[in-house]
Amino acid sequence: MTLLRTEGLAKHFGGVAAVDDLALAVEEGEILGLIGPNGSGKTTALNMLSGFLVPDRGSVWFADENVTGKKPVALARRGLLRMFQTTRVFVRISAFDNLLTAGLARGLDEAEARERARVLLEELTLTPVMYLDAGQLSGGQRKLLEFGMCFIAPPRLALLDEPFAAVHPVMRETMARFIRRRNEEGHTFLVVSHDMPIVVELCDRAACMNAGRLIAIGATRDVLQDPVVIEAYLGSESHV
Amino acid sequence: MSDARNLWSHRLAVDFRAALVVVAVLAAAPIVVTSPYTLGILIVSMYFALLAMGWNLLAGFAGQFSLAPAAFAMLGAYVPGLLDYHWHVSLAVGIPAGIVGTAIVGWLLGRVVLRLRGPYLALTTLSFAEIARVVISNSYDFTRGAQGLNVPTLMQSRVGYYYLFVAVVLVVLAGLFFVMRSAIGRFWLAIRDDETGAESRGIDVVRYKTLAFALSCAICGLAGALYGTFSQLVSPELGLLLQTGIVIAMVVIGGIGTLTGPLVGALLVYLASEWMRGLGNVQMIVFSALVIIFARFFREGLWGLVARRRVRALPRAAAGAR
Repeated sequence: MTLLRTEGLAKHFGGVAAVDDLALAVEEGEILGLIGPNGSGKTTALNMLSGFLVPDRGSVWFADENVTGKKPVALARRGLLRMFQTTRVFVRISAFDNLLTAGLARGLDEAEARERARVLLEELTLTPVMYLDAGQLSGGQRKLLEFGMCFIAPPRLALLDEPFAAVHPVMRETMARFIRRRNEEGHTFLVVSHDMPIVVELCDRAACMNAGRLIAIGATRDVLQDPVVIEAYLGSESHV
Repeated sequence: MSDARNLWSHRLAVDFRAALVVVAVLAAAPIVVTSPYTLGILIVSMYFALLAMGWNLLAGFAGQFSLAPAAFAMLGAYVPGLLDYHWHVSLAVGIPAGIVGTAIVGWLLGRVVLRLRGPYLALTTLSFAEIARVVISNSYDFTRGAQGLNVPTLMQSRVGYYYLFVAVVLVVLAGLFFVMRSAIGRFWLAIRDDETGAESRGIDVVRYKTLAFALSCAICGLAGALYGTFSQLVSPELGLLLQTGIVIAMVVIGGIGTLTGPLVGALLVYLASEWMRGLGNVQMIVFSALVIIFARFFREGLWGLVARRRVRALPRAAAGAR
């Protein structure tokens, strides 16, 4: 079943087409990688999918409902959650309070949110720092915390923007393990990443954007070996 | 586990208990303070404490920097005054009308400034405050302009007024404690720290920001309405930007984003200003210098410094955990 799809999605900034005629489909239960060179429109696309930007044209469908132009809070309530490239945690309250707040925002009662927060902190190896203000955590710990906030009440679809960028390899493996485990439980992911080895390892399928347009979509290895993708994204001399 | 002292629920509970101690001291003060003049000074300092708590709700907890708390106190004071002057409406209706009226205007202002942040938000609220003050100053036929408006009093007893203010401070404080302990308070903190992050987690930023504006303005309106009946005269001077500056100084010195800070800050600053009254403008220089010192070196304010001592071990734990 298609969980998320876009039809003719477009966004222009001035005269520049950041996203142009994007038709993308995310199937329920898969991990779809979204790749492309810098400036190809991946983050703009994610902003439109998560409600932070209103498209100029086209539509976004989530679970067969037209959600074009809906606010992020409305999409979050439907189970479509977003993780940002630059972490967005609540820096002046503790890591535990961050998770508790995210749980309450998703409609959990306080006792349940507390219990889930403790389980997630353990799974994400954040228990030793759970009482520290989020602003005192390292960059990697903040990313893990944001994973936890996203999954305190499991989303139907998680949109992850560069989750592995500038993260220590050990933490990167913790994140990858977390995504794999949640995917085995049936959760769906759209992952934007420049980290090709991890895209190959994690993603069932991949889609590649260039200059605002979708230039390839299919099985991850097929996409990465597509000459159009190699030329646009990896350079003509590169190989996977 | 000692580190658990940094949890919001624990910090808030400690903060609330400290604020209750301050209120208890205020409640006991008339045992030793019998001079009507000194009681009057304490009443006015509690008026400022209410304004400081109202502004702190908006700026300290929800992260929305407004420059209009004094303007809302002025509006809250004028509503019962005008209702009595023109239509002989009793204070029993006029005061609640002042609170509801300022809450509605605050809610509307919150909607207008919804997408504004930082200096744009501050300037817009400042513009609103000045418009409100100038309109009242120039509407002589309706408001009696700069001459001011006489307001009936609730009671003749100064001690009675004193305990009325103590009770209102206590009720507002308890209300803030319960709201900040609830999901609403946590959502405000999230909006303060990262509005986009809060929205992406499913927090209805529009709803909670406008709620913060409405509640904050209602508290300021309540303070103004009570103060008007105490002084029996309301004038546009209540809404001067200088008054807002004093409120901000009280919160910054006492501790922004806390319950105890605005209360302690208001009492200390106002009592000190009375003590320095004979020195003329020197008091403003002293308070301005204090604000600079606190903003530069002690951002947590007086209560923040005390609270930080309680969790001083935490940064060491952080270093070990990284």
